[in-house]
Amino acid sequence: MNRPEAEIEALAQALLEAKAQVGQCSVCFHLSAEPVCNICRAPNRDNQTICVVADSRDVIALEKTREYRGKYHVLGGLISPMDGIGPEQLNIQPLIRRVSQQGTGEVILAISPSVEGETTTLYLGHLLKPFTTVTRIAFGLPMGGDLEYADEVTLARALEGRRELE
Amino acid sequence: MFLTSLQLRHFRNYADQAVTFSAPKTIVLGENAQGKSNLLEAVELLSMLKSHRTSRDRDLVQDGQTTAQITAAIDRGVGPHSVKMTLRSSGRRTSVLNGETLKRQIDLLGTLNTVQFSSLDLDLVRGGPAYRRGWLDGLLVQLEPFYAHLLNQYGRVLRQRNALLRKADRDETGFPVGDLSASLAVWDAQLAALGTRLIRRRARALERLTPLAQSWHEQISGQREELQIVYRPSVAREEPGLWTKPEGLQSAFFDKLKQRAIAEQVNGTSLVGPHRDEIEFLINATPARQYGSQGQQRTLVLALKLAELKLIDDVVGEPPLLLLDDVLAELDLNRQNQLLEVIQTRFQTLITTTHLSAFEADWLKSSQILTVEQGKILPADSL
Repeated sequence: MNRPEAEIEALAQALLEAKAQVGQCSVCFHLSAEPVCNICRAPNRDNQTICVVADSRDVIALEKTREYRGKYHVLGGLISPMDGIGPEQLNIQPLIRRVSQQGTGEVILAISPSVEGETTTLYLGHLLKPFTTVTRIAFGLPMGGDLEYADEVTLARALEGRRELE
Repeated sequence: MFLTSLQLRHFRNYADQAVTFSAPKTIVLGENAQGKSNLLEAVELLSMLKSHRTSRDRDLVQDGQTTAQITAAIDRGVGPHSVKMTLRSSGRRTSVLNGETLKRQIDLLGTLNTVQFSSLDLDLVRGGPAYRRGWLDGLLVQLEPFYAHLLNQYGRVLRQRNALLRKADRDETGFPVGDLSASLAVWDAQLAALGTRLIRRRARALERLTPLAQSWHEQISGQREELQIVYRPSVAREEPGLWTKPEGLQSAFFDKLKQRAIAEQVNGTSLVGPHRDEIEFLINATPARQYGSQGQQRTLVLALKLAELKLIDDVVGEPPLLLLDDVLAELDLNRQNQLLEVIQTRFQTLITTTHLSAFEADWLKSSQILTVEQGKILPADSL
């Protein structure tokens, strides 16, 4: 409340503009002011790989790592009958079309391991496997974390997702 | 483990009350509706994260307040633990263990283990299968805290699957229009995967509990009766040892889902899975539920509770607390003595009662006695 009036006005104006201008990318459904977003247009990104996420916030989180060079696909939620959300309410048809038409090499499912997330992952895996390689991100211990301080759920999950030493 | 102190703030009918436990046995004496069971309920919440009396935190917060607090000091072999649980009428909980706020409530499990025995426990024998499932789940959560996570996940899958079944468009005969099986398939896969894990853990726990319960039952009944505990998962075929093989069990689960698919769609609810399991008690090969006399049923419940004490003690490596809510006076002197002999000083015991007259003298000798009156706890002055 101590800020000058002008600053508040500018902020309010910026929010209004954002609301008016930001829509969805017509390819990947990420937030975008243009019809096709920056990531989808980037010529130096790998066209062969699509990372599927529930929400635009997940794209932002993954982009911060600067480790992923492929493209994205935003579902716009997770399957949840209790909330009236079935596969038809999500951007799944456009994903299938993308994958089947452009010859994608790999689809990475980066969806949180909640009950709804697991269900959505299973559902997508089933649909996409005929067209391409489908992988999912691993869940386990945080880096730099001590095994003895990990909570039991994470530890049990990490144990389930173990893999052979290369 | 030993609960050394407990403080209740705005919890049920306690405005602000601290209690220090100074003996292995504490008798909490008071008229009905003064707060005896509320005290045990607070201990139950710390140990199982839920109360058998209510599922809404709103009921646990004192009238006119928005938050309640339970603070406890627990002495364990390795040193003292402090726990603070905050309950809100909004339903959100926070727990702090040894000064650290827990990210997940289930991380509190295992800090304080308890076995409860109340007069309601006769429902274990007489009541519906839900009582027995609830009892087994309460034990498992303490033996394997990860079980609580699986149980939560299973419950969530079940609610989603039920929503799908319920919300389907129906024709005038009540039968769903269109093919639900494609949308059900993903939920079926999760129901079967999580359900199988619950069933295997339940079977494993009962396998360990049964010999303990049998031996107590034999002792209490004077070797005249033989107890059997039979686990009947709703998905199981009549095939001995089925649940020792996860693949076999999972395929039995899918078979049963297929078999009941039409019934599920007509009823609009899930009919297959561990939420429909039954645990049967047989005495001399006769179902205790239908044929047991009241005395036999009491003996059975006592044997089960003693077996629980022993199993938690064995698995966790520390003796759990025993909470006796209004039940001791119901046991005859013979059974009281048997119970006394088992707990001795190994198991810290909190006992509520309305009168001391039914107690064997040995119980009173070494006990700390507190009186409860309208949400206030006082040491009993002279007896």
